[in-house]
Amino acid sequence: MRSKSKTMLFRSLALHSVLVPLALLWLLPLWMMFVFATMSDNAIFSPDIHLIPSTQFGENFAKLQGDIDFVRTLIVSVVVAVIYTFFSVALTSMAGWALARYKFLGRGLVVAIILGTMTLPYFVVVIPQFIMVARDFGLSNTWFALIVPPLFNSLGVLFMRQAFSLMPVDLFDAARVEGVSEWKIFIHIALPLSRPMLAALSIILFLHSWNNYLWPLLISNDRSMMTAPVALGSLFGLIDVSWGGVMVGAVLLTVPMLVVFVFLQRFFMAGITAGAVK
Amino acid sequence: MASVSINQVTKQFGAVSVIRGANLHVEDGELVVFVGPSGCGKSTLLRMIAGLEDISSGDIHIGDTMVNDIEPGDRGVAMVFQSYALYPHMSVQQNMSFGLRMNGNEKADTERRVQTAAKVLQLKPLLARLPKQLSGGQRQRVAIGRAIVREPQVFLFDEPLSNLDAELRVQMRVEIARLHKELQATMIYVTHDQTEAMTLADRIVVLRDGLIEQVGSPLELYHNPANAFVAGFIGSPRINFFTGVATEYAEGHQLVQLSGRGSAVAKVATTEALPSGTLIKVGVRPEHFEIGGACGFPIKVDVVEQLGSVSYLYADTTSEYPLIVARQDDGDHRSDELTISIRAGKALLFGADGNRLR
Amino acid sequence: MRRRNLTAYGFLSPYLLIFAAFWLWPIIYSFYLSFLSTRRAPWTFNPSMTWLRITQDTAFYNALWNTLKILAIQVPAMVFLATVLAVLLNSQLLRARGLIRFAFFAPVVIGEAAYAAVFRLMFNTDFGIVNKTLQAIGLSKVDWFANPSAAMSLIIMAVTWRWVGYNAIIILSGLQSIQTDVYEAATLERVSPRQQFFHITLPLLRPVLVFCFVLSVIGSMQLFAEPYLITNMGGPGGATETLGLFLYRQGFLNLNFGYASAIAYTIAALAVAISALNMWIGRDRT
Ligand SMILES: Nc1ncnc2c1ncn2[C@@H]1O[C@H](COP(=O)(O)OP(=O)(O)O)[C@@H](O)[C@H]1O
Ligand SMILES: [Mg+2]
Repeated sequence: MRSKSKTMLFRSLALHSVLVPLALLWLLPLWMMFVFATMSDNAIFSPDIHLIPSTQFGENFAKLQGDIDFVRTLIVSVVVAVIYTFFSVALTSMAGWALARYKFLGRGLVVAIILGTMTLPYFVVVIPQFIMVARDFGLSNTWFALIVPPLFNSLGVLFMRQAFSLMPVDLFDAARVEGVSEWKIFIHIALPLSRPMLAALSIILFLHSWNNYLWPLLISNDRSMMTAPVALGSLFGLIDVSWGGVMVGAVLLTVPMLVVFVFLQRFFMAGITAGAVK
Repeated sequence: MASVSINQVTKQFGAVSVIRGANLHVEDGELVVFVGPSGCGKSTLLRMIAGLEDISSGDIHIGDTMVNDIEPGDRGVAMVFQSYALYPHMSVQQNMSFGLRMNGNEKADTERRVQTAAKVLQLKPLLARLPKQLSGGQRQRVAIGRAIVREPQVFLFDEPLSNLDAELRVQMRVEIARLHKELQATMIYVTHDQTEAMTLADRIVVLRDGLIEQVGSPLELYHNPANAFVAGFIGSPRINFFTGVATEYAEGHQLVQLSGRGSAVAKVATTEALPSGTLIKVGVRPEHFEIGGACGFPIKVDVVEQLGSVSYLYADTTSEYPLIVARQDDGDHRSDELTISIRAGKALLFGADGNRLR
Repeated sequence: MRRRNLTAYGFLSPYLLIFAAFWLWPIIYSFYLSFLSTRRAPWTFNPSMTWLRITQDTAFYNALWNTLKILAIQVPAMVFLATVLAVLLNSQLLRARGLIRFAFFAPVVIGEAAYAAVFRLMFNTDFGIVNKTLQAIGLSKVDWFANPSAAMSLIIMAVTWRWVGYNAIIILSGLQSIQTDVYEAATLERVSPRQQFFHITLPLLRPVLVFCFVLSVIGSMQLFAEPYLITNMGGPGGATETLGLFLYRQGFLNLNFGYASAIAYTIAALAVAISALNMWIGRDRT
């Protein structure tokens, strides 16, 4: 017989000697983002290795703000993400409710079309979307263009359909017998009961919108309506740019999401694994 | 309060017929119990009355109103579900008042109704709790309270006690009976438990495979079942069935020779003679045997259930339906070999099709 | 009941309208567009300017080849790494679980612009920490942005860093949905941990792994922001130009919508074909 505690100790050592260095390596880019954000450009482009944060965060921020009005782009990003998330959750949970809880002509067809097309690459739609919004409607650089077209996302429909169909039907029948209208059943029973799912969905959708790059890049090139990631990316190719400032922008884009991630990890994981529900 | 009548109602799910032509009239203030084996269509019929299922054909009236095309909420019915269907995110108080609030009922009136119902059901101390903080019995009372608050024309219950343990079930049964008396309300109650049906009902409706087999008071069904199915379903312990052959007819009594029981003969009161040699089924309730007797047959007792007031002797325990005999004494009859006979005039006769021969 | 039918359409139609306008219709319209010559107005039906051209365009083949290279190396490597990670993260013996999970899962929330910026600096040829480290341990520095294979590996490393945690989360949830009593039963039957992994864990994880493969294939086929932002629009000299970037160039820099649509449909067809192949290889053979 081998000793149980010895094997355990050995296994634990092996596990950590693999995972800990790997974890540190994975943390390095994040860490370096913070370090770079606090370094002057001279220090960034110097032959020494710097791993400890310095003190230039404020100066770098000022430079970034001077290069592009980054605060304004952050505001645009926040507004777009908040409104987008609200509408996407509202529209998709209504649709998910209809598909989960009513039998109606065309239900199977709608589900089949959504499921059948959801894995198509975004490129297949982005050209007509661009032609429609930018050329036909002339709506480049508007809130409408930034918020409405991405609402096609069907993630919420499938997610909420799943959530609603797991709820016991008696609950809704009880309310029906009490004369509660279908709309009020949705608002006062179905939605409150799916609060954790709604939270998970909201977080994922917010993240989608916050990090969205291609569509805003195409549709919003005016400084006043640029989203923060697009504005940041627009600096990369320039000759005379403060990389310390760019890193401050990267930090400002990342930290809010990291905070959300740390504090709402449970919902976050639920949102990601929900993509895996069939 | 209102009466309920069901005329030629059928229900199909796709190609499957679940209710095959039901006719029933429930009087104002009556407590009617639908009973039958699981899957026979009780819930479906009840849900059609509630408006939760469409009616395939026929019509349903509540009071004087034809309700086929009326939404559930406008039918004046309240329903209590087996799962209780309490809204998990609302307190007891909110659960009970939800329907009224959503329909814009006056606040003070809603509050008064909730308080009254809470008092009737002893829920007052629980009003602020959430459903998950209640025991099964308390949840069931809240579900009933929610129904009472609506002041409905008709109460519908779908197996409301099935999720409770045995003791609570008896307690709640009594409570529902009391409520029925207090409220003088029309109630339709679904159960698969014949004891519940027998103890609660003014009238029982026995359903099988989407058909109403018989409607009548509990004792009517017990003593006068229309067919072998009803006889077998109503009564606990179960009725004993024998096969037999009709022999003589004398003085309003048919004599039947029981098959495989030696020379045992049953003597049954009927109105007319059967052709001699007809194959029939004989039903005998456990309490309708006597020990000894001239035309009896021998049994070997395998198991005895002593309940105090009565004992049940079980013989033939290896067959699907053991033979059950009731005795009023306290003796230990295990392994006894007895001769028993059927009391004159107490057996029930059924034809080969299962229908009662009177 | 009939009224409820109408209610259902009421709930469904707001979303369905958006879905039809910004998803369904574009799918159809871009198919139509892929047959039009859109170089100059008016647009005319001329598949030779789109579908025929795509078969002869060396730039397209370059982008296709680059994309397939990334896909063939990055996807299997990442799913393998994610599986290992998920199994290790699921271990009862793990200490500092929160911190280690954070290390791998945090990149999931980082936007492309932000991480592209960091990778550009970290891999900077003269002043990046990677090259400084390589030199410190006696290796020669690598010109990540001028050397084609180095640039390609840079993209692969960046994408793997960003997405491995995402896949590990999915696989981890698959692992956690396996009942522990299965393992307890196996342990009592003296089945070794390694045998448990290959005979219990892997077979039960198969659907999840196939899902990760399909997801990653579709993701890789659409790779755009990384080569756009990290390697300066597919540099050096087109060495990291992906199909996504090629489409962007044709569609939105040259404004040749017809040709770009043909490219989009090619990407879609390839994604569907490779995903189907994945599912076929990973199918349930029992
Ligand atoms: N929505 C439905 N679709 C198809 N069949 C159903 C549906 N609801 C009930 N049934 C079938 O109808 C029969 C009667 O069901 P039900 O009324 O629930 O029985 P009971 O309540 O008596 O146990 C069962 O065979 C059941 O499978
Ligand atoms: Mg039922």
